[in-house]
Amino acid sequence: MNTPVDSSTGVGATAPTPAVELTGITKRYGAVVACDDVGLTLHRGRIHGILGENGAGKSTLMKILIGLVLPDAGSIEVDGARCTIHDPIEAARLGIGMVHQHFSLINALTVWENVALGDAGRLDPQAVRQRIGEISDQYGLVIEPDARVGDLTAGLRQRVEIIKCLRRDPSIVVFDEPTSVLTPDESAQLFESLRHVVTAENRAVVLVSHKLDEVLNSTDEVTIMRQGRVVDRRPTAGTDARTLATAMVGRQVSLRTERAALGVIAVDDLTEIGDSGVAEVDASVEPALSIRGATVIGAGGVRLLDDLTLDVRPGEIVGVAGVEGNGQRALGDLLSSLVSLDTGTVTAGGRQVAAGRPGAMSRAGIAVIPEDRHDSGVVLDMSVAENLVLVNQRRVSRHGVIDQAALRDFALRMIADFDIQCAGPDAPMWSLSGGNQQRVVLARELADDPAVLVAAQPTRGLDVGAIEYMTERLRLAAASGVGVLLISSELEEILDVATRVVVLHQGRVVGEMAHHELDLERLGLLMGGAAA
Amino acid sequence: MTEIADSNVVAGSGQPAGGPASTAPARGARVAEWVMWYGLSVFAALVLSAVLVEATGGSWRPVLSALIDGSLRAPGRWGETLGTAAPLLLVALGTVISAKAGLVNIGQEGQLLIGAAMATYLGFVIGGPGPLNMLVVLLAGALGGALWAGIAGVLKYWRGVPEVLSTLLLVTIAGQAVAFGLRYDWLLLAPEANRGNRNQVSDQIPDGSRLPRHTLFGNEFPVTVFIAVALAVLVAWALARTVWGFRLRMLGRNPRAAQRAGVSQTKYGSAALLIGGAFAGFAGAAMLAGGGFAFGNYRLVPGFSTNIGWTGLLVALVAREKALAAIPVAFVFAALRTGSGFVGSTGVEGRITDVIQGLLVLALLIPPAVIFIRDRRRARAATTART
Repeated sequence: MNTPVDSSTGVGATAPTPAVELTGITKRYGAVVACDDVGLTLHRGRIHGILGENGAGKSTLMKILIGLVLPDAGSIEVDGARCTIHDPIEAARLGIGMVHQHFSLINALTVWENVALGDAGRLDPQAVRQRIGEISDQYGLVIEPDARVGDLTAGLRQRVEIIKCLRRDPSIVVFDEPTSVLTPDESAQLFESLRHVVTAENRAVVLVSHKLDEVLNSTDEVTIMRQGRVVDRRPTAGTDARTLATAMVGRQVSLRTERAALGVIAVDDLTEIGDSGVAEVDASVEPALSIRGATVIGAGGVRLLDDLTLDVRPGEIVGVAGVEGNGQRALGDLLSSLVSLDTGTVTAGGRQVAAGRPGAMSRAGIAVIPEDRHDSGVVLDMSVAENLVLVNQRRVSRHGVIDQAALRDFALRMIADFDIQCAGPDAPMWSLSGGNQQRVVLARELADDPAVLVAAQPTRGLDVGAIEYMTERLRLAAASGVGVLLISSELEEILDVATRVVVLHQGRVVGEMAHHELDLERLGLLMGGAAA
Repeated sequence: MTEIADSNVVAGSGQPAGGPASTAPARGARVAEWVMWYGLSVFAALVLSAVLVEATGGSWRPVLSALIDGSLRAPGRWGETLGTAAPLLLVALGTVISAKAGLVNIGQEGQLLIGAAMATYLGFVIGGPGPLNMLVVLLAGALGGALWAGIAGVLKYWRGVPEVLSTLLLVTIAGQAVAFGLRYDWLLLAPEANRGNRNQVSDQIPDGSRLPRHTLFGNEFPVTVFIAVALAVLVAWALARTVWGFRLRMLGRNPRAAQRAGVSQTKYGSAALLIGGAFAGFAGAAMLAGGGFAFGNYRLVPGFSTNIGWTGLLVALVAREKALAAIPVAFVFAALRTGSGFVGSTGVEGRITDVIQGLLVLALLIPPAVIFIRDRRRARAATTART
């Protein structure tokens, strides 16, 4: 907020020719209007935040700006000249670059090879390395050009993405949800270099985000979108989280869960982390799930889990914090019987479970909401009813024959209990939205009265309402005596519900804190791999 | 909020093909669409065939007439067609089962041949009174087919060899193995007195051990026809209604979800492969014991399988892995086979009839492909709208 924004005259009123001016942008997909008469003005030397929930139209708008999507109506002016952007190459020519939310890097290649990717003509490795060096010095984005991308942390990978983008010297840079995979520390670094890009080089920067604190802390002006429309547009200085949240959601935000989802907790005040709504469980209670020295060695000798030790007691919610790619997936897979252990044991209910044997974990009472529900959570080509009995067909079958009436009754009951929006028990699973597919998984996993519930990134890709529902269900499960293991890379989510937090780094548990001794700074350090 | 918007996409926009909200009229429209596509593409294939026949100096009317005569109209012919359809259906049913488990078994031709060989061998070694021996012959066939598919199963689950390769290559080996067996009388070759001037034939299945043949309106066919149809119903029921079928389908559609739910890939996968092979082998034994001049007349001969395995695989593909749909499809393919036997008499070159048969098969394969691609495109458009 050290760039001047003249808040008395409003955004862009007296500024020189804007870098980009979008007017009346409309894009429809069938009956859905992704962008409805959206206007956006970007100025050089300023960071412009675009805030909105999932599905608010932010991404579509940005895709239109970089030529991935053609608008149905509206005009685009770059530096005062009207233009049509048909593809990203044309956008690049106009000086528009984007750092994508999902990395588009090739792990097997080195940093400089990734940066040079997509270049035409002869490859000059030396020149590319040199250019990377220049950019590194200029923006403080230190990186080793000959490192293999697969070996880098998420933060460094993003650095590569940014260098890739800046190398073409764009005058307009779009950052799409850049912090979703970063530790708090890495995010801070990112915003530092972002600020530098703007002030020193007089570029126009767009920051697309659904996290309020990011937008508050690092932008000069903000456009808030809801259901495809611009609902508010204001200078960032002088506004606060509550105002932004209300504009973004369209109603008063009162529930703590929602605010956690919006990322308010981390900025508001740390006293917020006072109560998770679930009581801490005494350490002397016999654990429902106990993992001892679990080691999983993946392809190429990489230790996906490295001597991991973890306990989950009945009635507690253990949050597994950590930057993505530090063993979360392997931990989820282990508890889904999808990988076997090289060393170590998993014990549930006092009995050792054969890791990797089909169905062993679920038979031992370990329910799982998997990280990627399409991977092991649902069968998209089967019906909703069938997906509800995927793990356990005993309740709807007799002598190995499925009782169709019982199946239907059970499905109808689950659909009603969990408020699953679908055309009926026979609707194919693929016809449901992500949030409703997640409810099917939740309903099924809870139906068997599990002793342990593993929820891996359970709210990823869901909107505020669905997040609230999911967190509430986790709390209810814990309250009824289920041991909940919440694996999440959204720190706010963990801070919000967990009674105990363990930090995962490179496949091992590097730190543990009870809820009452939570310390954000230490947490951040642990997540970043610093010994603490 | 997203959910509400999504359900609008699905329900509100008069959701196209296969939507969850497919009401009765929507289903009717879908059936009509299928009929239209099949009609259109078969018609196109017939027109193309006619052009081809005319271009090579024939005339299309007698060819079409011969096709119908050979498969249905001439005396005794539809019995012959039924008799051909039965092994096709059996092979297709096995294919459906292994395909449901997500396996690509394409070695039915070999499994069928080994099944027939095993039936011949055990049939004569064990001997025994007539009807009992018939049972031995049929079971030996199933056993042989399962054994041959089992080799692919062992390779897959023990060493990770893709079954699509192993089953295919085992076809060639099966052919060679049976040819070898037919050279030695301690294996399959008939004793010198019983083989006349032919070398490389097995003994004839004795009268009492042959499958009874049924006569209906002057058309004769083996009881295999009834067995095959009954098995089709059984397979359809087992896949749709039993826990075993449910878990098998789960394995085929999402192996990781299945693994988590306790479906062992090795156990269910190899079971599906073995059953698939058993069906093909059973078909081979039934061809042997069911008679019919086209099938070696109760004798095992080199090339005994005469492409029934391959065609059965095609039947399963065209029926889109549905056991009941395989019944009419098997009949159509059998009719093409028996019908084209008559086409030769019209003076049209033999190769042309092969081309016509190929065109008709293509015509049957195109509509599902077209509808599949279109549905996927629509689904994709709907998902893009979602994000």
